[in-house]
Amino acid sequence: MAMTPQDDRLFSRYGLTGYDEMFVAPGRLRPHYAPLHHRLVSLGPEEIAHRHRAADLMMRNQGITFTVYGREQGVERIIPFDPVPRLISAPEWDQIERGLTQRVRALNLFIHDVYHERHILRDRVVPLELILGASGYRRECVGLRVPRDIYIHVSGIDLIRDAEGTFLVLEDNCRTPSGVSYVLKNRQVMKQVFPLLFAAHNIRPIDDYTTNLLAVLRHIGPPGVDEPVVAVLTPGVYNSAYFEHSYLARRMGVELVEGRDLFFDSGQLFMRTIRGPQRVDVLYRRIDDDFLDPMTFRSDSQLGVPGLVAAYRSGRLGLANAIGTGMADDKGVYPFVPEIIKYYLKEDPILPNVETFRPQIPSHRQHILENLEKLVVKAVDASGGYGMLIGPASTAEQREEFARRVTDNPRGYIAQPTISLSQHPTLIDDHLEGRHVDLRPFVLYGETIKVLAGGLTRVALPQGSLVVNSSQGGGTKDTWVLRGGPPKRPEAN
Amino acid sequence: MLSRVAENLYWISRYVERAENVARLLDVGFHLELDAAGLDGDAAGTDPAPIASVLSILACRDSFERAHGPGPLDREAVLRFLTFDRANNQSILSMLGHARENARATQETISADAWLQLNRLHFYVRGRKARRRFLDSPPRFLQGVKRACILFDGLVDGTLPRTEIYHFLQLGRHLERASQISRILSVKLHGLREGGPVVESPLRIVHWSSLLWSCAAYEAYLRDYHDRVDPEGVVRYLILDPEFPRSIRFCVARCLESLRAISSGDGYGSEAERCLGRLDSELHYIAPSEIFDRGLGSFLSGVQDSCNKIGDEIHRAYFFT
Repeated sequence: MAMTPQDDRLFSRYGLTGYDEMFVAPGRLRPHYAPLHHRLVSLGPEEIAHRHRAADLMMRNQGITFTVYGREQGVERIIPFDPVPRLISAPEWDQIERGLTQRVRALNLFIHDVYHERHILRDRVVPLELILGASGYRRECVGLRVPRDIYIHVSGIDLIRDAEGTFLVLEDNCRTPSGVSYVLKNRQVMKQVFPLLFAAHNIRPIDDYTTNLLAVLRHIGPPGVDEPVVAVLTPGVYNSAYFEHSYLARRMGVELVEGRDLFFDSGQLFMRTIRGPQRVDVLYRRIDDDFLDPMTFRSDSQLGVPGLVAAYRSGRLGLANAIGTGMADDKGVYPFVPEIIKYYLKEDPILPNVETFRPQIPSHRQHILENLEKLVVKAVDASGGYGMLIGPASTAEQREEFARRVTDNPRGYIAQPTISLSQHPTLIDDHLEGRHVDLRPFVLYGETIKVLAGGLTRVALPQGSLVVNSSQGGGTKDTWVLRGGPPKRPEAN
Repeated sequence: MLSRVAENLYWISRYVERAENVARLLDVGFHLELDAAGLDGDAAGTDPAPIASVLSILACRDSFERAHGPGPLDREAVLRFLTFDRANNQSILSMLGHARENARATQETISADAWLQLNRLHFYVRGRKARRRFLDSPPRFLQGVKRACILFDGLVDGTLPRTEIYHFLQLGRHLERASQISRILSVKLHGLREGGPVVESPLRIVHWSSLLWSCAAYEAYLRDYHDRVDPEGVVRYLILDPEFPRSIRFCVARCLESLRAISSGDGYGSEAERCLGRLDSELHYIAPSEIFDRGLGSFLSGVQDSCNKIGDEIHRAYFFT
């Protein structure tokens, strides 16, 4: 579809590099983006910037913030919100949805197997020492039966697009992935700020997320308890994701508890309420394994509850996610996920991995050391964009340092080719420029596996940057999963 | 309901009530000083400067002097101390900050509307716009804060079901209010006692009226009492009127209502409920003359002691479980 001359101002500085989500080639739109493009142009730069400010103000007033660590008490900030939504066509989404369902099902079988029979390790599909050395592996979970054999109740699997537009899995987050509250809030804000834009598209709703989440949590209540009491466990108001914890509790209508609100007595967990102790049956915990229970894990933890693991073991407490799931999202395990899928499901992976080199294999190590300036090197147990080397943007000194690290601790790193993430039109001051994006869809696993129709699109705001994490200055966009055929052309206004 | 959450709710409304109260007191004080300046300078000499007297009502005269040194009170300094001073726990900014922190930790319980209002108010008071407005016109700033606090109360009233959440908010709000009214009365009466008869000085009438304004009671009082402002009437109205939302009796009755709704006779009824019930009956049955016979000052300090004790007992019964 061709562009018209009045695009000039908004898109005048727009350049194409790599895969562009909106344009096939300069001036040629992907069909499902045509109405959005048309609407943006007719609104014009001033109006878009104006509504952008309105959106920011809404977020600020509603306290949709995250806390940045580093300074004294942590500073609350809103995550920069970009008003140009990202569109995903129905066929594209269909593939993503099937791919994620497949992946989560296989990872769940894998975790269960590792903590029980260990077939996959005995068959040497995945090396044993890799698992035992994974930071998320918990010895305490060996032989432990978890409710309904579900481990990964909530996962967020990061996807990127390569230069051909193929969706690839970048990493699996199977512990307590954050961001879904921004997905839900971004949508609310978009509906208010760009109602007609929204109305002109046939967008799959996402509002059922919290209802589905609550159903998943109820599903893992202790046997014999008809109406399980569910609560969200947060580290507290200073945690960077506190807004999310609070938002989810509110939307599910359940208590938001801190460790100090809970105590363990006669095999069960209780909340301290104004009417005395009240039983808790299921926790959606947003605290890492290590801090859950000072009697089992870190004894210096102030966040958890002594006895929590005992209640979990005895089957009188459901936990989402299960303890020990972090093993599956270790970056050292990541290269094996396609094999894991084939092993358990006898299917080919629908969503491919990014090509990954493991320094433990001598030929890979050599390749890594010789190509550091082209590769991204990641510590296997780091997240949030920390502990990485981005080869093309690195200094000789940094490369030397990573060469040393990789040689000293081959188990501790993986390397991947630098993939230029796809780019998406993004508002920069008063015009649009291409910025790199990724996508974190959320998957719920209860009676069935459900994929939230959308996800968090994170955008790297500094020009050319490939780092999308909010702790590193990334922003977010609303993500619209389109239903059926291409959207209607919007009316004026 | 979690004890921690109940405690947060109770303190949110206490802080908001206090912030509103400081804003109102300063606003009234500001107007009063303008009036005094227009009257006879001498007459003003014997009475405590209205803005400075707010320090006494809030019991933070000592902390002000620690921060600013002894000596004559500088009006501007007092105003700043009570509005934007982060170091002062009793400043409007500090109290709204506390209220907001409490609300942030409990935002899943109060309605989104109420949370938004408090959050927005806090951002406003913290930001540049508020300072500019204050510089342009302190009364406009103060009235804005006052209205924003009342809007929060209104949103709580209009959006929350009458569950424990609502009642803990009411409990905090009304206990704070009862306690503040008794403090305002004590401090202002102490200042007025030394002067001559009311009729002789127009300034003293202004002071009595300001006492009513300080409790947002001026117009309501006149509708009830018609003729002019007289000390006994004012005292009777602010302490014993059963209908006026800022009389001690009214506030105590609301506290009792909320506490009863919370305990709903389940055996957690507590010492707090007993103390409140007793204070409530006293205010219900006492004759105004009895108050004057007993000495207004000692009566009021008795009320304050009861409020403090009730606060302690509420903590014991519900928050320390």
